[in-house]
Amino acid sequence: MHCREFKQKHIGFVDDTLAGVELVEMRRHLDECSSCARLDAKIRRALLLVRNLPAVEVSADFSERLNARLSKCRELDARPRSIRKGMAAAMTLAAAAMIGYIALTLQKVEQSSDLLMAPVIASAPESEMTPISSPPPALVAAVPAGLAIWPAALFAEEAPVRFAHARFASAASTAR
Amino acid sequence: MAQTSRKQLAMVSAVSTKDRLHAMDDSAVVGAFLGGEERAFTELVERYQTRLLNFIYRTIGDREKAEDLVQEVFIRVYRHLHRFDRSKKFSTWAYTIASNLAKNELRNRSRNPLVLFQTVQKSYQDDDRPVEFEDPTSRPDDMYHQRHLQKIVEETVSKLPEHHRNVFILRELEGKSYEEIAEITDCNLGTVKSRLNRARNSFAEIIAPFVD
Repeated sequence: MHCREFKQKHIGFVDDTLAGVELVEMRRHLDECSSCARLDAKIRRALLLVRNLPAVEVSADFSERLNARLSKCRELDARPRSIRKGMAAAMTLAAAAMIGYIALTLQKVEQSSDLLMAPVIASAPESEMTPISSPPPALVAAVPAGLAIWPAALFAEEAPVRFAHARFASAASTAR
Repeated sequence: MAQTSRKQLAMVSAVSTKDRLHAMDDSAVVGAFLGGEERAFTELVERYQTRLLNFIYRTIGDREKAEDLVQEVFIRVYRHLHRFDRSKKFSTWAYTIASNLAKNELRNRSRNPLVLFQTVQKSYQDDDRPVEFEDPTSRPDDMYHQRHLQKIVEETVSKLPEHHRNVFILRELEGKSYEEIAEITDCNLGTVKSRLNRARNSFAEIIAPFVD
Protein backbone atom coordinates (compact mmCIF):
# COMPACT_ATOMS: atom_id res chain seq x y z
CA MET A 1 0.00 0.00 0.00
CA HIS A 2 1.19 3.51 -0.83
CA CYS A 3 0.90 6.52 1.46
CA ARG A 4 -1.60 8.13 -0.89
CA GLU A 5 -3.96 5.16 -0.65
CA PHE A 6 -3.48 5.08 3.12
CA LYS A 7 -4.52 8.73 3.39
CA GLN A 8 -7.54 8.18 1.15
CA LYS A 9 -8.77 5.29 3.28
CA HIS A 10 -7.80 6.85 6.59
CA ILE A 11 -11.31 8.20 7.25
CA GLY A 12 -12.69 4.66 7.15
CA PHE A 13 -9.75 3.41 9.20
CA VAL A 14 -10.50 5.87 12.01
CA ASP A 15 -14.24 5.19 11.85
CA ASP A 16 -13.71 1.43 11.66
CA THR A 17 -15.74 1.06 8.49
CA LEU A 18 -13.12 -0.72 6.36
CA ALA A 19 -13.39 -4.31 5.28
CA GLY A 20 -11.14 -6.87 7.01
CA VAL A 21 -8.56 -7.12 4.22
CA GLU A 22 -8.23 -3.33 3.92
CA LEU A 23 -7.89 -3.03 7.66
CA VAL A 24 -4.99 -5.50 7.70
CA GLU A 25 -3.29 -3.60 4.84
CA MET A 26 -3.70 -0.29 6.65
CA ARG A 27 -2.19 -1.71 9.84
CA ARG A 28 0.70 -3.20 7.92
CA HIS A 29 1.36 0.17 6.27
CA LEU A 30 1.36 1.84 9.69
CA ASP A 31 4.11 -0.52 10.81
CA GLU A 32 6.14 0.18 7.70
CA CYS A 33 5.69 3.96 7.28
CA SER A 34 6.62 6.22 10.17
CA SER A 35 5.25 9.34 8.45
CA CYS A 36 1.75 7.83 8.09
CA ALA A 37 1.98 6.46 11.64
CA ARG A 38 2.65 10.00 12.90
CA LEU A 39 -0.27 11.38 10.88
CA ASP A 40 -2.58 8.68 12.23
CA ALA A 41 -1.55 9.40 15.83
CA LYS A 42 -1.94 13.15 15.31
CA ILE A 43 -5.47 12.83 13.95
CA ARG A 44 -6.59 10.34 16.58
CA ARG A 45 -5.25 12.51 19.39
CA ALA A 46 -6.99 15.59 17.98
CA LEU A 47 -10.29 13.74 17.60
CA LEU A 48 -10.08 12.51 21.17
CA LEU A 49 -9.91 16.12 22.30
CA VAL A 50 -12.91 17.28 20.30
CA ARG A 51 -15.00 14.25 21.23
CA ASN A 52 -14.42 15.01 24.91
CA LEU A 53 -15.69 18.58 24.75
CA PRO A 54 -18.22 19.03 27.55
CA ALA A 55 -21.84 19.32 26.49
CA VAL A 56 -23.62 22.66 26.83
CA GLU A 57 -26.90 22.48 28.74
CA VAL A 58 -30.04 24.49 28.03
CA SER A 59 -30.78 27.36 30.41
CA ALA A 60 -33.23 26.99 33.28
CA ASP A 61 -36.02 28.97 31.63
CA PHE A 62 -35.75 27.18 28.28
CA SER A 63 -38.87 25.03 28.75
CA GLU A 64 -40.86 27.97 30.07
CA ARG A 65 -40.01 30.12 27.06
CA LEU A 66 -40.67 27.28 24.66
CA ASN A 67 -44.05 26.55 26.23
CA ALA A 68 -45.01 30.23 25.92
CA ARG A 69 -44.15 30.16 22.22
CA LEU A 70 -45.98 26.88 21.72
CA SER A 71 -49.09 28.33 23.40
CA LYS A 72 -49.07 31.17 20.88
CA CYS A 73 -48.81 28.59 18.11
CA ARG A 74 -51.76 26.68 19.50
CA GLU A 75 -53.79 29.89 19.76
CA LEU A 76 -53.13 30.65 16.12
CA ASP A 77 -54.03 27.13 15.09
CA ALA A 78 -57.17 27.17 17.23
CA ARG A 79 -58.62 30.30 15.60
CA PRO A 80 -62.23 29.64 14.55
CA ARG A 81 -62.46 28.29 11.05
CA SER A 82 -65.12 30.86 10.15
CA ILE A 83 -62.60 33.68 10.73
CA ARG A 84 -59.98 31.97 8.64
CA LYS A 85 -62.57 31.26 5.91
CA GLY A 86 -63.71 34.88 6.00
CA MET A 87 -60.14 36.12 5.64
CA ALA A 88 -59.54 33.77 2.73
CA ALA A 89 -62.74 34.95 0.99
CA ALA A 90 -61.80 38.61 1.50
CA MET A 91 -58.35 37.99 0.05
CA THR A 92 -59.85 36.17 -2.97
CA LEU A 93 -62.24 39.08 -3.57
CA ALA A 94 -59.41 41.59 -3.32
CA ALA A 95 -57.34 39.58 -5.78
CA ALA A 96 -60.27 39.35 -8.21
CA ALA A 97 -60.85 43.12 -7.97
CA MET A 98 -57.18 43.76 -8.64
CA ILE A 99 -57.20 41.51 -11.71
CA GLY A 100 -60.37 43.23 -12.98
CA TYR A 101 -58.82 46.65 -12.53
CA ILE A 102 -55.68 45.61 -14.42
CA ALA A 103 -57.79 44.15 -17.25
CA LEU A 104 -59.83 47.38 -17.54
CA THR A 105 -56.70 49.51 -17.58
CA LEU A 106 -55.16 47.38 -20.31
CA GLN A 107 -58.39 47.64 -22.36
CA LYS A 108 -58.32 51.44 -22.08
CA VAL A 109 -54.74 51.54 -23.22
CA GLU A 110 -55.58 49.36 -26.23
CA GLN A 111 -58.45 51.72 -27.23
CA SER A 112 -56.32 54.83 -26.93
CA SER A 113 -56.14 56.84 -30.22
CA ASP A 114 -52.42 57.45 -29.91
CA LEU A 115 -51.74 53.83 -30.58
CA LEU A 116 -53.95 53.78 -33.68
CA MET A 117 -51.61 56.19 -35.48
CA ALA A 118 -49.09 54.75 -37.82
CA PRO A 119 -45.71 54.37 -36.22
CA VAL A 120 -43.25 57.09 -37.08
CA ILE A 121 -39.71 56.12 -37.75
CA ALA A 122 -37.41 58.88 -36.78
CA SER A 123 -34.48 59.47 -39.07
CA ALA A 124 -31.85 62.15 -39.34
CA PRO A 125 -30.05 63.16 -42.53
CA GLU A 126 -26.47 62.11 -42.60
CA SER A 127 -24.25 65.08 -42.08
CA GLU A 128 -21.14 65.46 -44.07
CA MET A 129 -18.02 65.07 -42.02
CA THR A 130 -15.70 67.97 -42.23
CA PRO A 131 -12.15 66.83 -42.67
CA ILE A 132 -9.80 68.03 -40.01
CA SER A 133 -6.98 69.88 -41.49
CA SER A 134 -3.91 70.79 -39.53
CA PRO A 135 -4.92 72.71 -36.36
CA PRO A 136 -4.35 76.42 -36.43
CA PRO A 137 -1.28 77.16 -34.36
CA ALA A 138 -2.74 80.42 -33.03
CA LEU A 139 -5.58 78.62 -31.15
CA VAL A 140 -3.27 75.93 -29.72
CA ALA A 141 -1.07 78.64 -28.38
CA ALA A 142 -4.07 80.28 -26.70
CA VAL A 143 -4.93 77.16 -24.64
CA PRO A 144 -3.41 77.41 -21.16
CA ALA A 145 -1.16 74.48 -20.39
CA GLY A 146 -1.27 72.38 -17.19
CA LEU A 147 -4.77 70.83 -17.07
CA ALA A 148 -5.39 67.71 -19.07
CA ILE A 149 -9.22 67.80 -19.33
CA TRP A 150 -9.86 71.49 -19.65
CA PRO A 151 -8.10 72.01 -23.00
CA ALA A 152 -9.99 69.03 -24.45
CA ALA A 153 -13.33 70.51 -23.33
CA LEU A 154 -12.31 73.84 -24.76
CA PHE A 155 -11.47 72.19 -28.05
CA ALA A 156 -14.83 70.46 -28.15
CA GLU A 157 -16.71 73.68 -27.48
CA GLU A 158 -14.68 75.66 -29.93
CA ALA A 159 -14.70 72.98 -32.63
CA PRO A 160 -17.03 74.70 -35.15
CA VAL A 161 -15.17 77.96 -34.75
CA ARG A 162 -11.91 76.14 -35.20
CA PHE A 163 -13.14 74.37 -38.33
CA ALA A 164 -14.38 77.68 -39.71
CA HIS A 165 -11.05 79.23 -38.94
CA ALA A 166 -9.22 76.31 -40.49
CA ARG A 167 -11.27 76.53 -43.69
CA PHE A 168 -10.77 80.29 -43.68
CA ALA A 169 -7.07 79.84 -43.16
CA SER A 170 -6.76 77.31 -45.97
CA ALA A 171 -8.89 79.52 -48.28
CA ALA A 172 -6.65 82.45 -47.44
CA SER A 173 -3.53 80.44 -48.18
CA THR A 174 -4.88 79.26 -51.59
CA ALA A 175 -5.95 82.85 -52.41
CA ARG A 176 -2.41 83.87 -51.77
CA MET B 1 -59.41 11.75 51.68
CA ALA B 2 -61.03 11.02 48.33
CA GLN B 3 -59.46 14.19 46.91
CA THR B 4 -55.99 13.10 48.04
CA SER B 5 -56.34 9.68 46.51
CA ARG B 6 -57.56 11.28 43.23
CA LYS B 7 -54.48 13.51 43.19
CA GLN B 8 -52.22 10.52 43.83
CA LEU B 9 -53.96 8.61 41.04
CA ALA B 10 -53.39 11.52 38.62
CA MET B 11 -49.71 11.71 39.60
CA VAL B 12 -49.25 7.97 39.13
CA SER B 13 -50.95 8.21 35.76
CA ALA B 14 -48.69 11.12 34.68
CA VAL B 15 -45.59 9.24 35.78
CA SER B 16 -46.66 6.09 33.99
CA THR B 17 -47.36 8.10 30.79
CA LYS B 18 -43.92 9.66 31.05
CA ASP B 19 -42.28 6.27 31.55
CA ARG B 20 -44.28 4.74 28.73
CA LEU B 21 -43.24 7.54 26.33
CA HIS B 22 -39.68 7.35 27.58
CA ALA B 23 -39.50 3.68 26.64
CA MET B 24 -40.75 4.35 23.09
CA ASP B 25 -38.54 5.01 20.08
CA ASP B 26 -38.76 8.35 18.27
CA SER B 27 -41.14 7.11 15.62
CA ALA B 28 -43.60 5.81 18.21
CA VAL B 29 -43.41 9.09 20.17
CA VAL B 30 -44.15 11.02 16.98
CA GLY B 31 -47.08 8.68 16.37
CA ALA B 32 -48.36 9.28 19.89
CA PHE B 33 -48.18 13.05 19.40
CA LEU B 34 -50.01 12.86 16.10
CA GLY B 35 -52.58 10.68 17.84
CA GLY B 36 -53.35 13.61 20.15
CA GLU B 37 -51.02 12.97 23.08
CA GLU B 38 -49.53 16.40 23.83
CA ARG B 39 -47.08 14.98 26.41
CA ALA B 40 -45.32 13.18 23.57
CA PHE B 41 -44.03 16.50 22.25
CA THR B 42 -42.44 17.28 25.61
CA GLU B 43 -40.73 13.90 25.39
CA LEU B 44 -39.28 14.84 21.99
CA VAL B 45 -38.09 18.19 23.38
CA GLU B 46 -36.41 16.50 26.33
CA ARG B 47 -34.69 14.01 24.03
CA TYR B 48 -33.30 16.55 21.60
CA GLN B 49 -32.91 19.93 23.30
CA THR B 50 -29.35 19.37 24.54
CA ARG B 51 -28.15 17.62 21.39
CA LEU B 52 -29.56 20.33 19.12
CA LEU B 53 -28.22 23.09 21.35
CA ASN B 54 -24.71 21.62 21.20
CA PHE B 55 -24.88 21.16 17.46
CA ILE B 56 -26.06 24.72 16.79
CA TYR B 57 -23.78 26.24 19.42
CA ARG B 58 -20.68 24.54 17.97
CA THR B 59 -21.75 25.67 14.50
CA ILE B 60 -22.50 29.34 15.18
CA GLY B 61 -20.48 29.92 18.37
CA ASP B 62 -23.11 32.02 20.16
CA ARG B 63 -24.80 30.29 23.10
CA GLU B 64 -27.78 32.64 23.48
CA LYS B 65 -28.59 32.68 19.80
CA ALA B 66 -28.15 28.91 19.66
CA GLU B 67 -30.84 28.52 22.33
CA ASP B 68 -33.21 30.77 20.37
CA LEU B 69 -32.60 28.69 17.28
CA VAL B 70 -33.25 25.44 19.16
CA GLN B 71 -36.60 26.90 20.20
CA GLU B 72 -37.28 27.77 16.59
CA VAL B 73 -36.49 24.17 15.60
CA PHE B 74 -39.09 22.87 18.05
CA ILE B 75 -41.69 25.39 16.93
CA ARG B 76 -41.21 24.23 13.34
CA VAL B 77 -41.32 20.60 14.38
CA TYR B 78 -44.57 21.25 16.27
CA ARG B 79 -46.21 23.00 13.35
CA HIS B 80 -45.10 20.62 10.62
CA LEU B 81 -44.93 17.26 12.34
CA HIS B 82 -48.10 16.13 10.54
CA ARG B 83 -46.17 16.51 7.25
CA PHE B 84 -43.14 14.55 8.45
CA ASP B 85 -42.44 11.39 6.45
CA ARG B 86 -42.49 8.76 9.19
CA SER B 87 -40.54 6.27 7.08
CA LYS B 88 -37.51 8.49 7.80
CA LYS B 89 -35.67 9.14 11.04
CA PHE B 90 -37.07 11.91 13.21
CA SER B 91 -33.58 12.87 14.41
CA THR B 92 -32.36 13.43 10.84
CA TRP B 93 -35.32 15.70 10.14
CA ALA B 94 -34.78 17.71 13.34
CA TYR B 95 -31.06 18.08 12.60
CA THR B 96 -31.83 19.16 9.03
CA ILE B 97 -34.03 21.97 10.34
CA ALA B 98 -31.34 22.93 12.86
CA SER B 99 -28.61 22.84 10.21
CA ASN B 100 -30.60 25.11 7.89
CA LEU B 101 -31.33 27.59 10.67
CA ALA B 102 -27.65 27.67 11.69
CA LYS B 103 -26.64 28.19 8.06
CA ASN B 104 -29.10 31.09 7.72
CA GLU B 105 -27.78 32.62 10.92
CA LEU B 106 -24.20 32.50 9.63
CA ARG B 107 -25.30 33.98 6.31
CA ASN B 108 -27.15 36.83 8.05
CA ARG B 109 -24.13 37.47 10.22
CA SER B 110 -21.81 37.77 7.25
CA ARG B 111 -24.19 40.37 5.81
CA ASN B 112 -24.48 42.27 9.10
CA PRO B 113 -21.10 43.02 10.68
CA LEU B 114 -22.77 44.50 13.78
CA VAL B 115 -24.14 41.07 14.74
CA LEU B 116 -20.68 39.59 14.29
CA PHE B 117 -19.21 42.24 16.55
CA GLN B 118 -21.85 41.57 19.22
CA THR B 119 -21.05 37.85 19.07
CA VAL B 120 -17.35 38.45 19.45
CA GLN B 121 -18.02 40.79 22.35
CA LYS B 122 -20.28 38.21 23.98
CA SER B 123 -17.74 35.42 23.71
CA TYR B 124 -15.15 37.78 25.19
CA GLN B 125 -17.42 38.43 28.17
CA ASP B 126 -17.90 34.67 28.53
CA ASP B 127 -14.26 34.43 29.55
CA ASP B 128 -15.21 35.93 32.88
CA ARG B 129 -17.69 33.20 33.70
CA PRO B 130 -16.93 30.90 36.65
CA VAL B 131 -15.17 27.64 35.96
CA GLU B 132 -17.63 24.99 34.90
CA PHE B 133 -17.52 21.42 33.66
CA GLU B 134 -14.21 20.56 35.27
CA ASP B 135 -13.89 18.01 37.96
CA PRO B 136 -13.91 20.02 41.26
CA THR B 137 -11.48 17.58 42.81
CA SER B 138 -8.79 18.51 40.25
CA ARG B 139 -5.88 20.76 41.19
CA PRO B 140 -6.25 24.43 40.17
CA ASP B 141 -3.45 24.28 37.58
CA ASP B 142 -5.00 21.15 36.03
CA MET B 143 -8.34 22.91 35.89
CA TYR B 144 -6.75 25.93 34.27
CA HIS B 145 -5.01 23.71 31.72
CA GLN B 146 -8.25 21.85 30.94
CA ARG B 147 -10.19 25.04 30.50
CA HIS B 148 -7.47 26.53 28.33
CA LEU B 149 -7.35 23.42 26.16
CA GLN B 150 -11.13 23.34 25.87
CA LYS B 151 -11.11 26.94 24.68
CA ILE B 152 -8.43 26.16 22.10
CA VAL B 153 -10.37 23.15 20.84
CA GLU B 154 -13.56 25.23 20.53
CA GLU B 155 -11.70 28.00 18.73
CA THR B 156 -10.09 25.51 16.37
CA VAL B 157 -13.47 24.01 15.51
CA SER B 158 -14.83 27.49 14.82
CA LYS B 159 -11.87 28.18 12.50
CA LEU B 160 -12.83 25.38 10.12
CA PRO B 161 -14.61 26.46 6.94
CA GLU B 162 -18.40 26.40 7.38
CA HIS B 163 -19.18 23.37 5.19
CA HIS B 164 -16.30 21.38 6.74
CA ARG B 165 -17.29 22.41 10.27
CA ASN B 166 -20.89 21.31 9.79
CA VAL B 167 -19.89 17.81 8.71
CA PHE B 168 -17.15 17.63 11.37
CA ILE B 169 -19.53 18.52 14.23
CA LEU B 170 -22.23 16.14 13.03
CA ARG B 171 -19.71 13.28 12.93
CA GLU B 172 -17.38 13.94 15.85
CA LEU B 173 -19.72 15.56 18.34
CA GLU B 174 -23.13 14.25 17.38
CA GLY B 175 -21.98 10.80 16.25
CA LYS B 176 -24.04 10.79 13.05
CA SER B 177 -23.39 8.24 10.33
CA TYR B 178 -22.10 9.34 6.90
CA GLU B 179 -25.54 8.63 5.40
CA GLU B 180 -27.34 10.74 7.99
CA ILE B 181 -24.88 13.60 7.48
CA ALA B 182 -25.42 13.38 3.73
CA GLU B 183 -29.16 13.70 4.27
CA ILE B 184 -28.89 16.53 6.81
CA THR B 185 -26.46 18.58 4.73
CA ASP B 186 -28.07 17.65 1.40
CA CYS B 187 -24.76 16.39 -0.04
CA ASN B 188 -23.76 13.09 -1.55
CA LEU B 189 -21.83 10.48 0.40
CA GLY B 190 -18.55 11.16 -1.42
CA THR B 191 -18.71 14.86 -0.60
CA VAL B 192 -19.39 14.09 3.07
CA LYS B 193 -16.38 11.76 3.29
CA SER B 194 -14.10 14.16 1.49
CA ARG B 195 -15.17 17.12 3.66
CA LEU B 196 -14.82 15.09 6.82
CA ASN B 197 -11.36 13.90 5.83
CA ARG B 198 -10.22 17.45 5.09
CA ALA B 199 -11.81 18.79 8.27
CA ARG B 200 -10.05 16.14 10.37
CA ASN B 201 -6.70 16.88 8.77
CA SER B 202 -7.10 20.65 9.17
CA PHE B 203 -8.26 20.30 12.75
CA ALA B 204 -5.37 18.00 13.67
CA GLU B 205 -2.91 20.33 11.95
CA ILE B 206 -4.13 23.42 13.84
CA ILE B 207 -4.44 21.76 17.24
CA ALA B 208 -1.15 19.80 17.08
CA PRO B 209 1.15 22.56 18.44
CA PHE B 210 -1.07 22.92 21.53
CA VAL B 211 -1.12 19.25 22.47
CA ASP B 212 2.41 18.17 21.64
